[in-house]
Amino acid sequence: MKQNLAYRNLKAKPVRTAILVVLTALLSLTVCGGTLLVSSLRTGLSSLEARLGADIMVVPYEAKTKSNLESVVLQGNPGYFYMDMSRYEKIASREGVGQISAQFFLASTSSGCCSIPVQIIGFDPETDFTITPWIRRSYGGALEPGDIVVGNDLNAFVGDTLTFYGVDCRVAAKLDKTGTYYDAAVFTSVETIQQLIASSLDKGMNDFAGIDPERVVSAVLINTADGYSIEEVLNDINIHVKKVKAVQTKEMIAGISDSLRGTSDLIGVLIAAVWVLGLVILLLAFTMSVNERRREFAVLRVIGASQGKLAAVVMQEAMLTGLCGAGIGTGLALIGVAAFRSALEAQLGLPFLLPGAGRICLIAVLSILAVLIAGTAAAAVSAYRISRIDTALILRGDNG
Amino acid sequence: MKKPHITDILLLVMSAALCIGVKLLFHACAPKEDGSWMACHWAEQAVFAASLGMSLTAFVRLFLDRRARAGAALGMSITAAVTAFIPGVFIRLCMMNDMRCHAVMRPAAVILCVLIVICGIADFVLARKEAAA
Repeated sequence: MKQNLAYRNLKAKPVRTAILVVLTALLSLTVCGGTLLVSSLRTGLSSLEARLGADIMVVPYEAKTKSNLESVVLQGNPGYFYMDMSRYEKIASREGVGQISAQFFLASTSSGCCSIPVQIIGFDPETDFTITPWIRRSYGGALEPGDIVVGNDLNAFVGDTLTFYGVDCRVAAKLDKTGTYYDAAVFTSVETIQQLIASSLDKGMNDFAGIDPERVVSAVLINTADGYSIEEVLNDINIHVKKVKAVQTKEMIAGISDSLRGTSDLIGVLIAAVWVLGLVILLLAFTMSVNERRREFAVLRVIGASQGKLAAVVMQEAMLTGLCGAGIGTGLALIGVAAFRSALEAQLGLPFLLPGAGRICLIAVLSILAVLIAGTAAAAVSAYRISRIDTALILRGDNG
Repeated sequence: MKKPHITDILLLVMSAALCIGVKLLFHACAPKEDGSWMACHWAEQAVFAASLGMSLTAFVRLFLDRRARAGAALGMSITAAVTAFIPGVFIRLCMMNDMRCHAVMRPAAVILCVLIVICGIADFVLARKEAAA
């Protein structure tokens, strides 16, 4: 097979080629990895906004002080707080309340195989409007007593049996990844919650301070009725219903949005810094490489290579190293972010959801293109200079 | 000992990285509060044992002739391919996907095993080409 001159030049100088490939790989790794990271954080936030699914969340007043509500709702840290069912009825009777449903947070428990506790959430399938759509999407039937629906972060699958407080529960469905507290939670009906509490009392595991899921609730989720603003209904509940705190769900996300903006900016600055440094090094590398090969290019001119041909050789070398480096860097970024996404999520403490396959491919292709353009642009300066060399001067040795 | 190939060095480095890393860098979850181990610990032990075997093989093969080295490389590839399935398939990991065994140990072990598989096959193919030349 006939190999072209640029390829043979690269093959003849493996160390120089390896350095150029590593540099371009570093550039594509930062641009692809950074963009994928920021994109995943943004997808996580969008998912969070969509999945919270309610305009207002009402919790017992002490939940805002005793337990950090945001850490429970947004990060899935297990927590529990209760208020009397009469408050749910009072809230439901307020003007402007459209859809309303209660949730019951059971004191979390280790789930047998591992030491991490799991939040068990009881809900009413009759009134629910935040979880039920997700259950219907992944599971067509109704929840029987003893059936549970598991969040996406639980390593359990439909048909598996999980044991809570000595009760074997059948996994009836698994939710899609949401980026919210739903991912780390187990959902079930109030009847099953009662079974779990009864079993726990029988076995002396936890007395739950005498709570009855039919008489208390942990949180009330509300969608406002048409013609009423969220602020109007929120203020009305906070003023007229005692010992509760109504929170606008968008307000809870505001903190996350700020953190996300900060993280995105930081990643952006890092990408820019690596790019500036990388481009300067690439420019220097090509300039030095071309300078030390002036005699080689001069000989090529003597044996008949045109100015354009010399420039083309330099550009082809840049394209080949760029393509190879960009491919390696982009591949490493994709593997790294996809494989360690859970570790990244835990480290960042922000909702993290990889974008769809199409968007990932687009990011990868754009990263490769960006590095190719940057590499060839850096080489273009050297290509221009080498196309204008004075062959006689160089071969005589008077090249400064 | 003949001058080693780049694939010989890579196989030794990667199997040693898997062996040391699974114990020090990307180990499984810590023990429970009562001191007992979770299932993922036994996956870590199994990966450690397999990678220790691969590391010794990678070292010993440096002293063998080219044909034997290629055969050992192919054997290492097969072992690495099986090792990749230890965490999560042959031995179940913990309940939550965001726990250390799922988030760190499994992806790191799988990536290193895949690299060993690729390197082992590359070494075998190179040896065949050299023999044919």
